[in-house]
Amino acid sequence: MFLKKILSYGKQEDQVIENVKKHLQLLCLAFDSFCSGIKKNDSSMIREVIDLEREGDSVRREIISTIYAGAFLPYLRPDLCRFVETLDRVFDSLEDAALNYSDVVLPEQIREECVRVASMNTNMGEMLALSFDAMVNGEDLREKALAIRIYEKKIDDIKFSILKEIRTIPVDNFWQGRTLAEFVSDLTTISDMIEDATDYLQIINISMR
Amino acid sequence: MIELIPLIGCIFISFVIGSNDASNALSICIGSNVVKFNKAVVIFGLFVFLGMIAQGEKVMKTVGKDLLQVNISILGVTLIVSALLIAISNWKKLPLSSHQVIIGSLAGSGCATDIAVNMSSLVKIVFSWIISPAGAFVFALTFYKIMERTLSRLPLFRLEVILRILLVSSGMLIAYNTGANELATVLGGPLYAGLITTQQASLVGPLLVFLGAVLLSSRVIETVGKGITVLDPFSGFAAQFGAATSVLVFTSLGMPISTTYCIIGGIVGVGVLKGMGTVRFELIKKMLISWVLTPLSAFAFCFALTKALQYLPKLSAWM
Repeated sequence: MFLKKILSYGKQEDQVIENVKKHLQLLCLAFDSFCSGIKKNDSSMIREVIDLEREGDSVRREIISTIYAGAFLPYLRPDLCRFVETLDRVFDSLEDAALNYSDVVLPEQIREECVRVASMNTNMGEMLALSFDAMVNGEDLREKALAIRIYEKKIDDIKFSILKEIRTIPVDNFWQGRTLAEFVSDLTTISDMIEDATDYLQIINISMR
Repeated sequence: MIELIPLIGCIFISFVIGSNDASNALSICIGSNVVKFNKAVVIFGLFVFLGMIAQGEKVMKTVGKDLLQVNISILGVTLIVSALLIAISNWKKLPLSSHQVIIGSLAGSGCATDIAVNMSSLVKIVFSWIISPAGAFVFALTFYKIMERTLSRLPLFRLEVILRILLVSSGMLIAYNTGANELATVLGGPLYAGLITTQQASLVGPLLVFLGAVLLSSRVIETVGKGITVLDPFSGFAAQFGAATSVLVFTSLGMPISTTYCIIGGIVGVGVLKGMGTVRFELIKKMLISWVLTPLSAFAFCFALTKALQYLPKLSAWM
């Protein structure tokens, strides 16, 4: 039994890997809902993001507590925790973007660009989930990391054009302008966080070698 | 009554070995949740016992018979001084090898009395102190190279499982060495002075180490193992296993050597492979100073104390 225990992944390790996969799946679902929501201007789909974020939060808490209870070697734990916390920050920004979107009417001048960013964020989320699977299976992460970096660069370019455009849009009051600016900021910083999460995955992958 | 003095020193040092060395062997096992503290300490105790009965005899003979013919008075001074120096080093958190303290103290006491110190044996021991870290350096370097060519190609989490097994086995080997070398160094004197029998040494010694581990090691183990600490398991294993292998080789030759210095040799070996920049020369310098000063100060202290005791009328008869 002792040998079986040390030769297997271990119950706690399995639990962490499964929960990280679940966390990433929830994130992809949230991205999908958000993207469809702003494409169709469907508030129920946008609200779904908030529910998914809450579910993601409980999964994150479970992952962190399992890691602190002794899953994996101590050396791996900090970077795994950082990766999971970065995913949580992505969820938080997506939730903020969803909340801000509910409070603002998205001007037509920037709608198309915002939908493009949301769609790219969705692709980045899927790529991140694929990267995690690749790491678990011992495959190369470089191509997936490169794809994420390319998406991030594209979103950065779109961000500047949105910011340029947004300055010419008239607003009725301060709060309308602020909410719109915050929505754009939340939507466009998600890609940076996904890039950070990919970096953590790469660090985790090479740190033990 | 006078026999109690060396026995008290012996009990204290064995107890301290348990509390200090258990964390070297068990932190990773407990930290990675392979075994719980209670089970891990029992396994540690078993391996210490195994080391003591399987290979302890050779080191005990070197310390208690070959180096000098110990008697109760020499042993009393040696073990009490050693216990005091070890207690001070623990309190002040100074790196100190219990082997060097005991050998230095024995040689100091021996030189202060008429008992002849076997210089050839002493030279062999000192030579082992120089060669053993170098051996650990070579072993660690070799293990690291082998692991780099084989293990590092595995998927991360598979590699993590294998490293966990390797670290646990390395911990067990360290526990075995604790019994076969460290504990044997402490018990060699009392055994050859006729204070204890081989059976008593094999049973009571590991029991004291076990008690030290049970009562005092848990906090250190929890801090190192359970905390989110930075330990590189890949190079850590190569260094630790290289050191453990070197200690095992020298134990087979009956040489009392320090696991700590071997671990440093192993770490430098891995550090050299990773680039000289990763080697902390400042720390190595400190350890080298301690390496030279520890046996010399133990020697001087014991020599002076034994000489002083000879001038005391009531104690001169005992000396």
